[in-house]
Amino acid sequence: MSGLKKNLALLSRVELRMISPSVNWINSLPAPEGLLESFQLRGRQSLQLAGLPASSDEDWRFSDLERIKLLFKLPLASRASKFSGFSEQQLPPSSSSDTVRFVVRPGMDSQSLPKGFSYISSNELNRFLGNAIDHSAANDDWSVALNNACAGRVLALRVNGTDLPSLEMVLDNAAGELAATRIVLVLEPKTHLDLQHIVLGNSDSSHSHLLEIYLGKEASLNHGWLALGGGDATCVADLVIQQDLRSEYALTSVQAGWTLSRLHQHVVQLNGFAKTILRGLQCTKAHEEITTNSTVRFDGPEGCLEQLNKAVAIDSSHSIFMGNIDVPRVAQRTNASQLSRNLLLSNKARVDTKPQLTIVADDVKCSHGATVTQLQEEELFYMQSRGIGSIDATQLLLKGYCQDIIKYLQFNDDRSNIIDQLIGRL
Amino acid sequence: MTSQNVVEDLVSQPYKYGFVTDIEAEKITKGITEDVVRLISSKKNEPEFLLDFRLKAYKQWLKMKEPNWAELGYSKLDYQDIIYYSAPKSNQKKQSLDEVDPKLLETFDKLGIPLSEQKRLSNVAVDAVFDSVSIATTYKEQLAEQGVVFCSISEAVNEYPDLVQKYLGTVVPLNDNFFAALNSAVFSDGSFVYIPKGVECPMDLSSYFRINSGDVGQFERTLIIAEDHSSVSYLEGCTAPMFDTNTLHAAVVELVALDEASIKYSTVQNWYSGDENGVGGIYNFVTKRGQCRGHRSKISWSQVETGSSITWKYPSCVLQGKDSVGEFYSVALTNNMQKADTGTKMIHIGPGTRSTIVSKGISAGNSSNSYRGLVQMGPKAVAARNYSQCDSMLIGDKAAANTYPYIRSQNAISSIEHEASTCRISEDQLFYLQSRGIGFEEAVSMMVSGFCRDVFNQLPMEFAAEADKLLALKLEGSVG
Repeated sequence: MSGLKKNLALLSRVELRMISPSVNWINSLPAPEGLLESFQLRGRQSLQLAGLPASSDEDWRFSDLERIKLLFKLPLASRASKFSGFSEQQLPPSSSSDTVRFVVRPGMDSQSLPKGFSYISSNELNRFLGNAIDHSAANDDWSVALNNACAGRVLALRVNGTDLPSLEMVLDNAAGELAATRIVLVLEPKTHLDLQHIVLGNSDSSHSHLLEIYLGKEASLNHGWLALGGGDATCVADLVIQQDLRSEYALTSVQAGWTLSRLHQHVVQLNGFAKTILRGLQCTKAHEEITTNSTVRFDGPEGCLEQLNKAVAIDSSHSIFMGNIDVPRVAQRTNASQLSRNLLLSNKARVDTKPQLTIVADDVKCSHGATVTQLQEEELFYMQSRGIGSIDATQLLLKGYCQDIIKYLQFNDDRSNIIDQLIGRL
Repeated sequence: MTSQNVVEDLVSQPYKYGFVTDIEAEKITKGITEDVVRLISSKKNEPEFLLDFRLKAYKQWLKMKEPNWAELGYSKLDYQDIIYYSAPKSNQKKQSLDEVDPKLLETFDKLGIPLSEQKRLSNVAVDAVFDSVSIATTYKEQLAEQGVVFCSISEAVNEYPDLVQKYLGTVVPLNDNFFAALNSAVFSDGSFVYIPKGVECPMDLSSYFRINSGDVGQFERTLIIAEDHSSVSYLEGCTAPMFDTNTLHAAVVELVALDEASIKYSTVQNWYSGDENGVGGIYNFVTKRGQCRGHRSKISWSQVETGSSITWKYPSCVLQGKDSVGEFYSVALTNNMQKADTGTKMIHIGPGTRSTIVSKGISAGNSSNSYRGLVQMGPKAVAARNYSQCDSMLIGDKAAANTYPYIRSQNAISSIEHEASTCRISEDQLFYLQSRGIGFEEAVSMMVSGFCRDVFNQLPMEFAAEADKLLALKLEGSVG
């Protein structure tokens, strides 16, 4: 269904929803302008029509929608906002000394770029902007509409070559404000890049982030997403990835510390023969709610997907995983596996997991699995019988559990700090 | 002919049970109104409580919307174009089978369900339901000796009103969903089973549902109660004639298992599924749910779903009793334009509850076969366990196999394991079998049978044979 048609279909529902919070808020946004003007108009129209997400929307059925309402109370962060800033010590050490670091804020200035990196001109950007979103049918997603409505500028980078310095993008936050940021990243054919996203959140800051990635033929991207929140911070992010022939995309995401965090991953393998690896770890405590929602569509043959999503939930927190795999008729000889593993460590915590396979091609290997368990008593007993106290034994098991994912983050050899930080929280 | 074509031809066998019995029937006028609900109730001489139940359900139904979340894509039903009650004329239930219209007996004979004394299946009591009414129930007296009640629900309403009033609508509330509410308002007949304390039912009980008229909806209601320390195995089969129009079947099944009771409920569903272009066929919207109320009680659903143009069915277990057990074993075969959205819900409430789900889906032609399930661990389901396995087999590149398992856990000391896979008939395996002198058709049949073996093993012997035959039927034939 096209966006417009869907919007029309939504019209009848509009009256039923409480749209007033969003209407007032949308009216308070700066007037649409610049390169993203058409996106801003479209996003605001979508938000006005759709209002807040409803629990009847499949993507939101497990979520606490009251927290989303709070987003509509925050003013937009701008160039003039007071950003939290961060010290080098707050960030994990970069993987190499020649890392290119961007501190991504609304209204950020451009900076000089090393060899292999260039900004995409406005004219050329029209070829890319929104293209991957259209392809992945994510246009009508509420979180995409939110970013469309709010983001005023876009950081667009082209990367070409091999043996490039790794790229680090730090998403800064401003207390009591919603920072809407948008990035387009184009990897030319045969390019290899390591990209680390670090998302920071403090007090009641909020992020809306939209990242479009275009992987050319035989390009490969090793992508880390480390999102560490604090206080009542929230983060809603969409990663939209379009892969060409024989490209490889590997994502390692780690989320912790957010009152509300939603990471949507939309991957489309355009012409097949591509490989996607999605690894995720989400740790929740107190009343936090973290969601990973991935959709992988194979639009060509011989595509490959390896997905492993892990979660640890304690206290009264809520961990959600939704994983969609779409294998249409053209995607013969697809090989896709998905595994959702969850540790539920408290009786008040909640885990929801919903894998979803839609398969039409017949010559495919597709499997998925899901487990929700606690720490194995036998393993705890084994360690205790060797003199390790129960707290240490628990921490050791949790470390091992998290290490499975964190080891793929491309930070310097001090990754154990990240693990300690996560385990310490739990 | 390529092996792919042969396989596709194999699964496209004509429907054997599509004949119509020419029998004079009493039908009420089309459409549903409060008067129609009252009329059905009065035709069945029902007590006041049941009329109230029906009217409440009807009022709820009017407020409800037909669900569309399964995206089954069927053409909208006109609920005013359906006849809600049809019975063979002079529907007074006969005391002896000798008095039953021979045409009816012949119909059930043709379906392989012999009701006449000399041909009766040994050790299986049968309740035969034709359109809206129960025609005959066999072995009633022998069962009564043990205190087992097995009769049509209409008879139970009059003969055991207290039991019916106590349990009806307690597992599937009258406003549970759109189709359950419709059924609660207009249900015509179905089976009633009551197994008293400590009794192990001496024979399998079986109901056979036959839709004969193209414009009549079938709304049967089944209620099974197993008292403490009792057990029963219940079998259900369904067929319908071939019509170009779609016929609605909206059934409700409620099971109640008390302390240490066990209910095994098996279904072979072979309603007419429409032709290869998707014309005609039964719309099968069924709500089946069992409650394990007692400790160490057990409810086991086994189903073989091969018919219906649309299937919307999720036999569920609510595991309340401590250490109670729920099981779901399912084979769903879809072909041509069939769409099946089926699965189960295992709701773990009590501590130590266990559930097992084994679902096998086979999709051929342009069909779509979805598994949709929910496993939920409540806060008190300490040490509860679930294991789910969903496998799909695709035959041809136009069929779809979808899996939507929902998993929700609110208990740290419970464990859930789910695994699913999708495959097709392996050419290597086919070649291996053929190279050893096994014909193509037989080889495919063996592989499908092997794929479904986990489920067939759970079916009662008579049904396992029938299910195997049914799949073989769909697979036998035109090897070129």
